[in-house]
Amino acid sequence: MTTTATAHDTHHAPSPTGGGLRRLLLGPGLLRGAWMFVLFGGIGFGIVVLIRWGAGWDPLLATEPLVLVSALVAAPVGFLAGIGAFDYWTYYALGYPTRAEDHSGHGAQSWRDYFRVNTDHKVIGVQYLVTTIFFFLAGGMLALLVRAELAKPGTQYFDQQTFNGLFSVHASLMIFLFIIPAFAGLANFVVPLMLGAADMAFPRLNALSFWLLPIAGIMMLSSFFMPGGAFACGWTGYATLCSQHQPIGAIFFNQGVQWAGASSIMTALNFLVTIITMRAPGMTFWRLPLLVWANFTTSLLVVIATPFIAGSQFFSMFDHVMHTSFFNPVGGGYPLGYQHIFWFYSHPAVYIMMLPGFGIMSEVIAVFSRKPIFGYRLMALSLMAIVVLGFSVWAHHMFVSGMSSWLRVPMMITTLLIAVPTGIKIFSWLATIWEGKLHLRTPMLFALGFLSMFVIGGLSGVMLGAVPIDIHVSQTYFIVAHIHYVLFGGSVFTIFAGIYYWFPKMTGRMYDERLGKLHFWLTFVGFNLTFFPMHILGTDGMPRRVADYLPKYADLNMFISLASFGLGISVIVFLYNMITSWRFGEIAPANPWRAMTLEWQVTSPPPIFNFDEIPQVVGSPYEYGVPGAQHAVLAPSKAREMEEVPV
Amino acid sequence: MRRGSVVALLGLALIAGGVATAVAIWPTWLPVAASREAGRIHFVIWFVVVICIAIFALVAAVMVYSVLRFRVQDDDFEDGPSVHGHTGLEITWTAIPFVLVTAIAIVSAIVLSRNDAQAENTLRVDVVAQQFEFTFSYPDAKNVTSPVLRLPEGRSVELYMRALDVIHSVFVPQFSQKEDIVPGLVTQLHITPDRVGTFPLECTELCGLGHSLMRSQAIVMKPAAFDAWLRQQEKSAAPAPATTTTSTTSTSTTSTSTTPSSSSAAGLSVFNSNGCSSCHTLSAANATGTVGPDLDKLVSYAKKAKQPLTPFVHDSIVDPNKYIEPGFPKGVMPETFGQSLTKTQLDALVAFLVQSAQKSGNK
Repeated sequence: MTTTATAHDTHHAPSPTGGGLRRLLLGPGLLRGAWMFVLFGGIGFGIVVLIRWGAGWDPLLATEPLVLVSALVAAPVGFLAGIGAFDYWTYYALGYPTRAEDHSGHGAQSWRDYFRVNTDHKVIGVQYLVTTIFFFLAGGMLALLVRAELAKPGTQYFDQQTFNGLFSVHASLMIFLFIIPAFAGLANFVVPLMLGAADMAFPRLNALSFWLLPIAGIMMLSSFFMPGGAFACGWTGYATLCSQHQPIGAIFFNQGVQWAGASSIMTALNFLVTIITMRAPGMTFWRLPLLVWANFTTSLLVVIATPFIAGSQFFSMFDHVMHTSFFNPVGGGYPLGYQHIFWFYSHPAVYIMMLPGFGIMSEVIAVFSRKPIFGYRLMALSLMAIVVLGFSVWAHHMFVSGMSSWLRVPMMITTLLIAVPTGIKIFSWLATIWEGKLHLRTPMLFALGFLSMFVIGGLSGVMLGAVPIDIHVSQTYFIVAHIHYVLFGGSVFTIFAGIYYWFPKMTGRMYDERLGKLHFWLTFVGFNLTFFPMHILGTDGMPRRVADYLPKYADLNMFISLASFGLGISVIVFLYNMITSWRFGEIAPANPWRAMTLEWQVTSPPPIFNFDEIPQVVGSPYEYGVPGAQHAVLAPSKAREMEEVPV
Repeated sequence: MRRGSVVALLGLALIAGGVATAVAIWPTWLPVAASREAGRIHFVIWFVVVICIAIFALVAAVMVYSVLRFRVQDDDFEDGPSVHGHTGLEITWTAIPFVLVTAIAIVSAIVLSRNDAQAENTLRVDVVAQQFEFTFSYPDAKNVTSPVLRLPEGRSVELYMRALDVIHSVFVPQFSQKEDIVPGLVTQLHITPDRVGTFPLECTELCGLGHSLMRSQAIVMKPAAFDAWLRQQEKSAAPAPATTTTSTTSTSTTSTSTTPSSSSAAGLSVFNSNGCSSCHTLSAANATGTVGPDLDKLVSYAKKAKQPLTPFVHDSIVDPNKYIEPGFPKGVMPETFGQSLTKTQLDALVAFLVQSAQKSGNK
């Protein structure tokens, strides 16, 4: 530990001592989080009441500003302070002696350490993944409720407002609490290891980024318990429906997005600084594994684009709570302005949800084909091309929105052009597979499943990019089919591939291969049966986001609903495999896949500071089949010896 | 690449392409085209679908072939050939997609400009959308209004659309044309119907509680039948606001001296033309909506609100959030009726509702 464990100065305060109860209540942790949550909520409540009383506004206890300030802003800040996310910074800022960095908050010895503010990127990665899978299950349950209602025309189980809430919360959870942060979790675990670094550049910021997520997710889910029901204007939250014509649940969406967005921005900054400054000696940009390239480009997108959705949600919420007129035409506002700002984030967000998956694909496909990635540099450059083009296509979501009609053709051209770098990636993966030695383990199955599904999603994307076709199919079930082929067949398949691929590294145990393959086939078949028929419903004219539909669409909807329950069952196989393998699985070797990237050159799970000595990078990470090729030289150590053990 | 693998690849590509083509041809996934615009858009769809099938077949063939041919067992520790790239191939698969998408863009742009071009003698129809109803009116024919969109076959039609509350959208699948209706803007949509028939017209932009029920119809008629319908509507629309062209004094006299039966007819027509029935149940109007409170029970609602019936009904229309019947969400009913209805219309509507509520209350 010569490079990472440093001597500590004497200006640190001694660790707090004292009685058990006192320590339990005052020391950082969930209990202090609970009472500070209540305390801060009360303070927020008091401030609002005081201002309203002082100004003589009636009614004194206005629900919306009270809920916003007290429950959605102040109380979560109290929770974060309570669990200790700000402790170090607070001591430092107030001039108190900071506590010794004894690394007690780093790494996990028992399961309890996963419920604390932890600065170890590997612990945070697992925290991210477990949390996001929880919200994946919640969002999936909501989707099944939606399908239950849609099995027959007419309304069966839910009234219209509840139904609109179901699909709105489903989409918001899947996007903001599952796909985006699940990628952040995988990258959190893997990127520092791949770079040859001991941790992320800003470990405390990393911990804070994670703890913002449960707040955002619980906020969105709890909107179901509000009077008037959950937010019900779709995950896009268009003005003026969301900003003026919704019950109080709408601001739970507006504010939930802020917490999730802040988490995203902080993580992205952390990745950028880590990737730029903490590469091991010899790790040039052209030697970076493509997963690192993918997260580098994704982070650029997040940092540039996410402030726009934050702005759009603030404006919408101000219209709702404070009766401003950002989007209210009666006060001079412009409803389409919301859509322009929203999609200026949310189109790049599609790539935020896609590029990290591309990175995972490049790792998995190269390793399980035992061949170098075909056209490495073009693969990296096409990622950059997608970043640049990604900012010039947002209005293709608005071809029928009533925006200036001249904007349609230029936006169509940029949209269609983005198919070119995406095509390069698909063809390069195919060329990587060609003449390889394919090992069809579970991660590779999900990778191949991704390739075939993403081609369909990409092609329906080209159809949507052509304005005349978009005019016919936008706002219909064709859109629902397209987005699920891209985000489920695309992103979610890559997340599954990544989870199976790095499961041995994260847990130190192997997953069950047979259950993994069963999970893949159930998912692949269930997915296609559920979502392919939606293309047909859409072109035939069935609008999306409806609880009721014309009787002529009844048969296909019943079929889709039945298939979706099959898809739901596949998730049970996944959960069972993960839980039992984590607990009882076979002990994993350091490098079960014979991969070259750095994370596989250390033990499974890796030591607390990753590398006994910072490795020296000497070559490309994908030199499979090149005799004697090496990616990096590691100091001879226990980890190195373990690697020699035949698998 | 060996000759055998080329043949096998081609075979697989043909199978994949054949399956995809069967999927594209066998189910009827496109509605019948009922406008010239739809005909052109269907052409673009098929143009792109053919390209998509070709690319899908290629990718599927390479993938299936690789899985069948290059698969090895877990105990095979050999590596594949160390091929790092091939400049020629990489240029090819950058250039070909570029050419294809350029072709798609050109075809699309041409179709788009032709679809938006208005012919001479274009019929103007004004559309007003609100939660959860459309109203169509014909400015060339003394603003005849209709809850369904009636159009003459073969004539270029331009819709001028306004929304009163939130964003709505007009979509008739058979016309293939769609545009949002945005509060504060007037958006336009061009249609040239070329097939007689009745087609569903739907709101496709989530507009709140009753969104999935916000439906109407588009009826395309022979031009002669359309003109006859328009003339007949002009006549029958006349009595209610008087003979329009003559004098305004006659308007006020007719409305003040209405007999009970004619006021209830006027109230019923206001009820029907403002979309009340999409949310409310009212037996006198054969309305069965369930989004908002049941208007047959107005008597008991008024009792709960501790208000006399007539002012209660009036206030509930003009200021719907003043009293909310338990079990129904606040802020759903549009607050715009106080402005959009004339005083005469409002009074007729209130009188009609009070009358029918008392009738059903006495049952």
